[in-house]
Amino acid sequence: MVKVYTVEGCPYCEKVKKYLKSKDVEFVAYDIEKDAAARADCIKLTGIDGAVPVTTIDNENYVLDFDKKKLDELLCL
Amino acid sequence: MVKERVHKDIIIIGAGMAGLTAAMYAGRMNLDTLVLENGIVGGQIANATGIENYPGFISVKGADLISTLQQQAENFGAVIDEFDTIQKVVLRENPKIIETEEKIYLADVVIIASGMNRRKLPLPEERKFAGRGVHYCELCDGHMYQNKIIAVMGGGNAALDAANFLTKYTDKLYLIHRSEFRADEVTQKRIRQNPKIEIMLQTEIKKLNGDKKLETIDILDKNTGVTKNIAVDGIFVNIGVVPNTELFKDELKLSKSGRIPAGEDCKTEIEGVFAAGDVREKEIRQLTTAAADGTTAALLAEKYLSKLKESI
Repeated sequence: MVKVYTVEGCPYCEKVKKYLKSKDVEFVAYDIEKDAAARADCIKLTGIDGAVPVTTIDNENYVLDFDKKKLDELLCL
Repeated sequence: MVKERVHKDIIIIGAGMAGLTAAMYAGRMNLDTLVLENGIVGGQIANATGIENYPGFISVKGADLISTLQQQAENFGAVIDEFDTIQKVVLRENPKIIETEEKIYLADVVIIASGMNRRKLPLPEERKFAGRGVHYCELCDGHMYQNKIIAVMGGGNAALDAANFLTKYTDKLYLIHRSEFRADEVTQKRIRQNPKIEIMLQTEIKKLNGDKKLETIDILDKNTGVTKNIAVDGIFVNIGVVPNTELFKDELKLSKSGRIPAGEDCKTEIEGVFAAGDVREKEIRQLTTAAADGTTAALLAEKYLSKLKESI
């Protein structure tokens, strides 16, 4: 399952979500400002506290920010 | 891979207030309209937490205003593509050519509404601390500084609004500006009444310090000439904007400030190419004037297109 770590109001987070929807990719979005466990998972993944948006499919490799090329590679789009 | 060639009546470059307004008008006139956006739909106002000077709204979030406008443009048939990136433009041919990563677009009219980008912090350490203490989007990154010490750099409305917004996360915020505030009086009053904000005018940030992330900054008090070091966890930079005209510098003559010269009719030196919004060289740059430019450009673009079609 694709996970996207976000915060409310972040335009780049919205852009990632819109892009995944445009490609029919199913994903779960976590608001790390409201979800402490998700925040901890995100920090564990990236080593950076609070950087969003972060997209991952395997909890190991991730894409920080909106980067279409990297998202396509990560998700084999 | 051979790129698909696609013809459009109008291509609008930029999906901020000017571009989306132009798209709405062009769509209403049944023109085959495509908006290409390399960054964020909404542009600068996507980050605005509360807009209080747009007619018809007491206060509106930038994201909400732009989302409605996008919907209006799309309802009239305009297509907005924010995922394909423009690589090259050729404006002096007819039709004009816009090459993106995926396609080659041919357009009879191009409206440039590419707006402005935030100016980066002009310090050598900026790269080292970008995303690790130096930030440009308070909505995206403000939450990283819960109960930490924040600085906002800048003296315009956007900077003061950012400072006010960020005090939801912290009790200690420095608002640092090298001269006097340029923000309007209402916004300044709000800031001066916020007990969490310490205003530091006539002050410059000279150096950023820290190991893996920002820890302290050196600031110069220009009145006394004294430099001091203060602890800061994160800086949000709001020190103005630069015109987003890199793509057009070989096609159009730019003004000294890097904007596109065009009159109130938004017509540039090239027939069929219009400039609208903050990217156009003009004295007043507001959301309302961006909307006005978008309207003017689209209506005159339609007139140009009609004549073009008659002549064929």
